[in-house]
Order: sequence, then C-alpha cells, then structure tokens
Amino acid sequence: MSDNDTKKPTGDAQPPPKGAPTDTPAAKIGSQPSNPPAGAKLDTPPAAHSAPTAPPPPPAAKPAGPPPPKNPGFVTCTIDGKEVVVKPGTNMIEAARMVGSDIPYFCYHPRLSIAANCRMCMVEASNAPKLVPGCQTPLVEGQVIKTTTPKVKEQQRAVMEFLLLNHPVDCSICDQAGECKLQDYYMRYDYRPSRLEGGKVMKNKRKVLGPRVVLDQERCIICSRCVRFMNEIPKEPQLGIFGRGSHEVIDTFPGSELNSNYSLNTVDICPVGALLSRDFRFRARSWFLSAAPSVCTGCSRGCNIYADFMAQDTYRYRPRENEAVNKSWMCDHGRATYKGLNTGRVLSAVVGRQQGTGTARPEVARKEAIQAAAKALSGVKGQVAVLASPVASNEDLLATLTFAKATLGAKEIYVGGRPQGEADHYLLTADRNPNRKGLELIAQGLGLALKPFEDLVKALDGGKVKALYAVGTEVPGNVETFAQAAAKLDVFVAQATNESPLTAQATVLLPASAHVEFDGSFVQVDGLIQRFRKAYPSKGDAVGHWALAAELSREMGGTAAWTSSREVFRELGKQVAAFAGFDWDKSAPPDREKPGINPLPTAADGRPPGYREFGAPRVRGI
Amino acid sequence: MADTHKPVSPPTPEAPNPDTDAYAHEAELEAHLQTKRMYVNMGPSHPATHGTVRLKVELEGENIAEIDCEIGFLHRGFQKSCENVTWTQCLPYTDRLNYVSAMMNNFGFLNAVEKLIGLEIPERAQYIRVIGSELHRIHDHLTCVGATGMELGGFAPFLFAVEARELIMDRVAELTGARLTTNFGRIGGMNRDLPEGWSEKVIKTLDKVMEHVNEIDGLLSRNRIFVDRTKDTGIITAADAIDYGWTGPCLRACGVDYDVRKVKPYWVYDRMEFDVPVGEKGDNYDRYLMRIEEMKQSDRIIRQALQQIPAGPIILDDWRIALPPKPEVYGTIEGVISHFKLVMEGVQVPAGEVYDCTEAANGELGWYMVSDGSGRPYKVHVRAPGYPILSAVPHIIKGKLLADLIPTFDTINMIGGEVEQ
Amino acid sequence: MSTFALDRVTAQFPEAVAERYLDRTGGAWAVIHAEHLPKVAAFLKNELDFKLFTSIDAVDRLHLAENDPRFEVVYFIYSLSRHEHVRFKVRVSEARPEIPSITPVFRGADWWERFVWDFYGIRFSGHPDLRRVLLYEEFQGHPLRKDYALRDRQPLIPERPIKDIFRGPGTSGVS
Repeated sequence: MSDNDTKKPTGDAQPPPKGAPTDTPAAKIGSQPSNPPAGAKLDTPPAAHSAPTAPPPPPAAKPAGPPPPKNPGFVTCTIDGKEVVVKPGTNMIEAARMVGSDIPYFCYHPRLSIAANCRMCMVEASNAPKLVPGCQTPLVEGQVIKTTTPKVKEQQRAVMEFLLLNHPVDCSICDQAGECKLQDYYMRYDYRPSRLEGGKVMKNKRKVLGPRVVLDQERCIICSRCVRFMNEIPKEPQLGIFGRGSHEVIDTFPGSELNSNYSLNTVDICPVGALLSRDFRFRARSWFLSAAPSVCTGCSRGCNIYADFMAQDTYRYRPRENEAVNKSWMCDHGRATYKGLNTGRVLSAVVGRQQGTGTARPEVARKEAIQAAAKALSGVKGQVAVLASPVASNEDLLATLTFAKATLGAKEIYVGGRPQGEADHYLLTADRNPNRKGLELIAQGLGLALKPFEDLVKALDGGKVKALYAVGTEVPGNVETFAQAAAKLDVFVAQATNESPLTAQATVLLPASAHVEFDGSFVQVDGLIQRFRKAYPSKGDAVGHWALAAELSREMGGTAAWTSSREVFRELGKQVAAFAGFDWDKSAPPDREKPGINPLPTAADGRPPGYREFGAPRVRGI
Repeated sequence: MADTHKPVSPPTPEAPNPDTDAYAHEAELEAHLQTKRMYVNMGPSHPATHGTVRLKVELEGENIAEIDCEIGFLHRGFQKSCENVTWTQCLPYTDRLNYVSAMMNNFGFLNAVEKLIGLEIPERAQYIRVIGSELHRIHDHLTCVGATGMELGGFAPFLFAVEARELIMDRVAELTGARLTTNFGRIGGMNRDLPEGWSEKVIKTLDKVMEHVNEIDGLLSRNRIFVDRTKDTGIITAADAIDYGWTGPCLRACGVDYDVRKVKPYWVYDRMEFDVPVGEKGDNYDRYLMRIEEMKQSDRIIRQALQQIPAGPIILDDWRIALPPKPEVYGTIEGVISHFKLVMEGVQVPAGEVYDCTEAANGELGWYMVSDGSGRPYKVHVRAPGYPILSAVPHIIKGKLLADLIPTFDTINMIGGEVEQ
Repeated sequence: MSTFALDRVTAQFPEAVAERYLDRTGGAWAVIHAEHLPKVAAFLKNELDFKLFTSIDAVDRLHLAENDPRFEVVYFIYSLSRHEHVRFKVRVSEARPEIPSITPVFRGADWWERFVWDFYGIRFSGHPDLRRVLLYEEFQGHPLRKDYALRDRQPLIPERPIKDIFRGPGTSGVS
C-alpha cells in the first residue's frame, strides 16, 4: 500500500532519473521552456478541455455554432461582471487576478503542473452545471464566471472546514503562523466555529525528511505542491504521497532522503506549516519579521530574495520572484549564506596584529584606525598591492578602486573572493562570488588591470609585495597559508565583513557592512545589474567599504565627498560604460511587496516592518 | 521662544528705562507712574488653572492686553501611535484623550470604527455604552464644577465633587476593571457584561451622587462670590462660538440647541427621555449651570437605561471581528486561528473613510478615519471638543480682567489630554 | 446622507469641484480645487448656513494605492439649521504644499490649520499666524507624514535664554 505512489498524476510523469542531465547552468537557463509548464503546457491541454466544455454555450439559447471571438486571437469573458481579455489557455485564477478578483487556492502554483486536488478554487461558470476548479479550467469565449456567489462561498466554507477538521491546534507553536494560507483563508472564507466532535487523526509530527527539511504530517493538507515541485523543477523526484484516505502522508521513498539542493523550496511553497526548515524552525515568529528585498550572495547567479530580519539580525532568505533570474526559487546553498551576516562579523576596528590565538586585540574607534591606516598607507604609496573581493558590491568596488587608483597609485588589482565550488544542474553556479562581473566591469572602466590571486601569492612569497590593501578578505586559495604569508607584510590594511585567519594578520582591520546593511547593486553572471535594499543599520562600528574608502581618502588628503552609496554610484558609475543605462533609483525593488496594503508581517507590537523604525540618523546629543 | 509673535509695543532703545538706566533714578524719586505692560506666565503649571497649558498673558494693569495659549505639553503623538498599531490597540490610547471621561472616548472611537466596517452592535452593548457614557459624563462635569468652585475659593464643593467622583469611579472600576483608563468595549460590542448586582449599586450610587450634586448646586449657584466671579464674565456670543467651532455644554450655554444625542441619535439615545439644557448669555455662569443640569439629565438617562436594558449577547458573534471564547481558542484550530489573526494582525477593516461623531462631555467628539484595508488604521483624526473651545479663549478674554481668566478657563473645561492629543 | 450642500456648491461653482463621490458609509464628499477653496467656504457659510466649524485635518496618502498628489486636506463643517455635515477635501502636491487659508472665513479654522502645518508641513497662505501649535518651533520635520520614521529622534535644542522676568520686558513672556 505504501508503494502506491503513482496514484497521483505527478508520480507518472517521471522526469529523467535524478542528476542525469548535468548541463551547465547557462544551458539550463536556456532550457527553461520545459520548466514553467504552467504557461507553456497550458496551451495544449486547455484546447483539449475547451472542446468538451465549449459546446454547452450553444444550448444556452445561443445561435448555432460558437460565436466569433470578440477579440480574435484572445479569449474574452466576464469575471464578476468585469470583462477580461486573455490569451487562450489562461486559467481562471490568473484571469480573475487580472480584474482584481481573488480566487483562493492551496494546491495551485503558477510554475507547477495542475493538480486540482484542494478544491478551494471552485467557481461558478456559465457553461457548467456544477462548480469548476479555477486552476484547471481554461477560459472559453463568452464565459461568465462568478467567484462570490453563495454557492461558491458555501463550497469554500466546506473546503476550509474539511481541511481544518484534522488540523492540529498548532498555531501557537507553528512556524508558518502568520504566513499560513489556512489562517488567511479561514479568516476570509470560513470564520465559523468547529463542528468536530471527537478526536483528530494523529500522524507523525516530526518526520525528518532530509538534512534541511522536517515534516509535520498532521499539518499537511496533501496539496502535493512539494511532490510536484521536486518532480518538475529540480527534477529530483525525492518525495511521494503514500497511503490513502486518512492515512495519506507525504514522505520520502524508502531508503532515500530529501537532500536535493532545492529542498527548502518545498518549505516555501508549502501552503501550511507541514514542511519546515530545520534551520529556521522555532527561531522567529514570522509576524515579528520584516522583509527587505535583496540579492543572494551565495553564488554568481544573484537570485532575488527577501532577507527576513528582526532588529539587526537576518533570520532567513526567501526567494523573490524574478522571471529573468531565479523564477520563484533559490538553492539551499544560497539560503544558508545568511548566517555570515549574523555571526563571525568584524564589528570594530583593530590596529595591530593578533599575537597567537585567543589573545585579545586592541579594539579602537574607527576614526583612530582610519588615521593609523592612512598613516601606514601614506608611507608606501605606489607600492601597495590591492586585493579586491568580488563579494563586495558595485558601489563598494567603485569607491575603493577609485581610492586605490587615485590615492594609493595602484594600477593593478588582485582578484580575491571565495573559492570556486561546483555548479549544480539548475541555479547554483561554480563561481561563489556574487559580483565578479561587476568587478571586471569596474576595473575595466577605471582602467585597472585585474590579476589572478596566484600572482599575489607568488609576489608575497617572493617578498615583492610589502604592503597590501584588501577590500574584503575572502581568498580563493587556502586561507591559513595565505594568512601566514600575509603575516610577513609590513602594512596590511584590511576591510572585512567577517573574521577569518586572514583578518587576524591585518595591521589595521576595518569593519565593513554586509550587503543587507546598505543599498547597493551587484552584477550577476549573465550581466544583469540588480539592486538590493538596506534592511537594517550596520552592526557594530561597521560602515560600507565605500564609506571606509571615503574616510581613508579624506584622511590621506583626497576629496572623496560621497555620503551614500547612491552618490558613489552616481558619481563614479559614469566611468563604467555598462552602468550607463542603469537607473540606480528606479531599478530598486519596491520596499514593500505591494503598494497600499502591506502583507508583510508586522513587528511584535503591531508596528510595521522595521525599515520604518530607523529614520534618517539625526540623533545629536541624546 | 522663536515666536514670530511680536510684543505689542517693543521698548525703543532710546527711551529711558527707569529700571536700568542710571539717570532714571531722579525720575524715580518723583514716583513716576509710567504705565508698563506686565508679562505673566500662567502655567504650564499654575495653582489656579488645571491642565498643563501655558498662557502667556500681557497685562495692562489688571486688564489682559494680549494673550497667547501655548499648548502641546501633553502631546503624545496620538495619531502617529494609532497609525502604527492595530485598531483594537488604539483603544488604550483613546482612554488618554479625555482622561476624565475615558469611556466616552472609547465608545466614540469604536462607534466610528464600527460605522467604517458597517456593523450593528447588539442591543445590550448599546445600552451598556449609554450607561457607561452617561456615568462618565457626570464624572467629567463633577470634575469641572468642583474644580471651578475650588479655584474660585470654595473648597467644600470640590470635596463634595471628589467624593461623588469617587463613588462613580468605584462603579466604573467594577464595570471595567480600571478607575481611570478604562479601555472598555471592543469593536463589535463590549468585552464584558455588567457585573452581578451592579445595576442596583449604580442606582444607589446615583442617589448619593445626586445628593452631592444638589449640595454643590446649593453651595455655588446662589453664592454671592461665585456668582460675581462667573456671571457676565467670559462671555462669548452664539455667533462667535459657532464660528470658532464650539460644541457641547459651552455652545449650549450661548443659547444654541445642538446636542449630537438629540440631532443624530446613536445607540439607544432615541429611546431615552431627557432634556437638553440651553443657556442664554454664554457666560461662565451659564456654562456652569449647563453642567449642573446635564448631570441631572444624565442621571435620568442612566436610570431609564438600567430599567430598559435587555438580556442578550454583548458582542457580535463573528470571529472576524470579535475574539472567540477562550475554550474555543484553546481547544479548536478554528478558534486559535481567529485569535491569532485578530491579535496579531487586527480586525481587517475594509478600505474606506468615515467621519463620525458622538456627544462627549465637552462637545462633539469627531473621528475621521481612513483605512487601507489592513488591520491598522491608516489615519485617525480626532476632533477633540476642547480644541476649538480653547482656541477661542484669547478672543473671549482679551481686554478683560486677569481674574476673569480663571473662571473662564475653568468653565470651558480644557482637558490637556484631548486638546494636545 | 444628504448631498444638498455639495449639490449647491457644484451648481454655483462648477469649476471649483474636481470630483464628487460617496464614501462606503454613505458620506458625500467633494474634491475642491485649492484656488477656489476660500470662495467655496464663504459660500457654504454665508449662503448655505454651514457655520459651525468642525475640523480640518490632512491625510498623507504616500502608502495608499492612489497617492498623487500626495496630501489631502479634509474639511468638515456643520450646519445647525440642516443638521448635517458637509465634507470636502483639497488635494495638495508634495512639491508645493500650499493652499489658501480659510481662517478669514472661519475663525475656528485658525488652530486646525496650524495643526496641519505642524504635523504635515502644509502651508496655508493668508493665515494670520501660521506657527506650530502642539510641537515646538525647533522641531525638525512633520511627524504625521508617513515617511517620518516612527522612532525618529529630535536633536537636543539649547535652552532658551530667559531675561530678567521680574524687572521688565525681556524675551520671556509674549516675545
């Protein structure tokens, strides 16, 4: 019985065995048409559907033969009294959304195949005697759809009551509370007391599916979104539906686990609190989190994300929709990178090397450290090697490289950055740095030569380099070895976000902001420039790389007058030809998901998301 | 003070200043009677005024030549606070508007929100709101009348007023759980019913309170000193009062019959038999009399309401509006969802705007609200009745005696909490 | 709810009324062009007997779906003979937040206009004494604007000098 996994249509359409096509990521992007079946596939099956459903209109007192379409090439119909013109094959949910009618749904997902098993999206159609599922039914010419009739409302109530029948009383301990479709739809479509007498069906409350995902089978409403996702998007069919009736559960196949690099997307698309991230679980209530639109820095793909934060800590990344880059998905590798924003950060400036492990280093005010760095760098002008990390943003690189070129007299830049990894078959690229393209463009624009990191290692070993200015201390090679080499440097000014063996060897260590702490932009692997927004003020004493460069520059007699990353981009971005067509302000993602009603969780005391809590810093004296 | 307001006659530098210039001493020997304007700060903390307001008074002898009200000492950002919490969480903020009659603010706010949603609250809840409002109207007027008496030199009326207030506060505490900041009522009805035996207690309390009111009436209304200080002082004509936007007892003292309870009966005021006292002159004495008479009318209303109040639910049975009963919250998923959503995200008030008003102790308490469809107000404008009334004080008092300022300021019953939001 | 006053206003000054609508609770509204505001106010007061000045406030529509122009100043005036409110609004842009004052018509508008200036930074041209009313003069910004951060802080301001308060006119008192 438990092998009965093929009873769902999704189980039949087995994609090629997992991991079989190891295309390059770029090729994968190219082969996307097969991925969003919602749009592409609908063109054909709807035609098959419309054949049986189209005849009913003629009996409805219409002249013989289907009427000619009102808008040739499109389907014109009426939803809740409003006329809507859509492409043939568009389903009712999408069409209704265009005219502002919300059809509720659990199992439907625009990027997945249609299952039509939740029955929440049933609406009244003029050409059908019974309610029809809005997700599965394409629109037909002249059809009249009603989404708010008593019949539809009663259906929605019934579905909600049915789904809640065996749902555990878990909101108080459930991570999904606050972003749960059951909660939202209960308040909108049901709002009735329970009529259940007797107990609820008990299932496994903590079924560990894989290294990152845990399942609460009691909360599951068997919408099969996760199963379809694993089958269709990463094409790694690791989940299935087992059992039947009240014993129906989502599970992994015997002997295997949910270990795909895309497994956490199932947590996102789970409409209820059944699939949970083991990392995020029990760490924050979504009501208390605020979200800032940002970009993932885990690899050069540049997946669009929301960084969910509370106070000055990021709690998770969620994918943000972008048709050109990541659709609605992101990889587990990228999601885990938020941790570097919270822990192991360089929070204050340090002057002097660390003597052995465990010894305290003298922390100084940033101003003091800037003075020390300026003094040290002034002595070695022209002989300073510059190490730039492609983890830094365009604004950071523009400012620091301009400083390196104009004030330090550098002509070539050594490229640092995180070591290369392995690309996977979908989104993750081998280059684990978010802004290599940006670094290349900026170096080109400023007329600086880029040299590989190995050259710097050789130069250090050969004793040719005695002074180093590092923007970001991520290095592609072995950090320990490079740190030992760096220990021999006379001057090593490092601007770093995170501590590493290398930062311990800096003669002056300056704290730099991470990307969620200021507004900026990255250039992802395909050359798209993507803006990200500030979530919260920088931790500790940190400021952006660009601000450190400005401070250093002023200390050394330069004229860097930038006071914001925006100014940096507007002033210095002109030198980079690729940035010419990029409107820094207009390209910023909206800081609320929608204008007007903000669906994002509110803060603990009912206050709106945190970005409003930090105004322009105008504190003087208090 | 970076006021743009200029002194009426700035001392010219050439003119000798008898106080500072050495050569003026000679003139001083001749007992010069050079008139000189005197500047007096009344408040923000002054023994003869209640309410934290600074009156910058420019005196010519005993007469007030110029006066400027500086308000805002009690500004708490009421509107900004409301915009950032759920609709229900606004309720405690409304307590602190007119803190002498908190319930009337609560109910006025709720009435406007309910109008915005389009709710009809249960009948019993409407009666409770009327009873609570009228209790607090007596409470408010007692405060005003008592303080007026005290500031004009009569301490006994104040003690009677405070004792009566104390009795009302005890009843209010039994009803709401708090003496002053009641936070009573919820969107869609009330959060708790009348306690057992409370109605009988209220009747007895009212007997006692009215005894005290009559006592105060007897002590003040024909008291020579009191009448001399209040009669024909602080006069405002009906036309001026209307132009300034006066409402409530202060407007009625001018002879204008405008009471929201009669004109646009809300809740069950149309079932109550009561009279609206109207004055003649618009002086301090009339304003005082209005309050004495209104207390007697409120007493009538409460007695009628307690007699008529029907049994039944006190809050709507709609889990989108009202919190589910606790057993449902603890035991069923439906209840816990509703509870969580209502507490965390608030009652979802459909997008729209509304202006609604009720008759508070000092006049028309108006609310203009804008909702963007979420659980938090987009805008909550409160038209505190005291605000326009206070704004007319310079007009009333200019050219009059400084001593008239005290009764005038008393009888307009300025409440810092509502005026300064 | 009656639309009497707004009907009359529309008939009298068709050029002044930009828009008429009913809110969801049945309240009749008109959007008045700013330049015609004093005329409309005077007409309401003198011809239509809308004399009891109720209140003015503004709405910062920054986060609403429709937010251009950004501000709306709302007016409520009551008629004691007809027993109804008339409600109308004037839209003001962020770039030039200035509308004519109606204080010359209604003295009651004085403090309300000061309030709106204080909290929204909308100027009322022709107002006799447009100062802040609840906040202090040194306050920076206008706190009821939606882009004024909830927990924004104000700078400390130096104590104002107090001249000899007993001996004669100084900068204390009415200054």
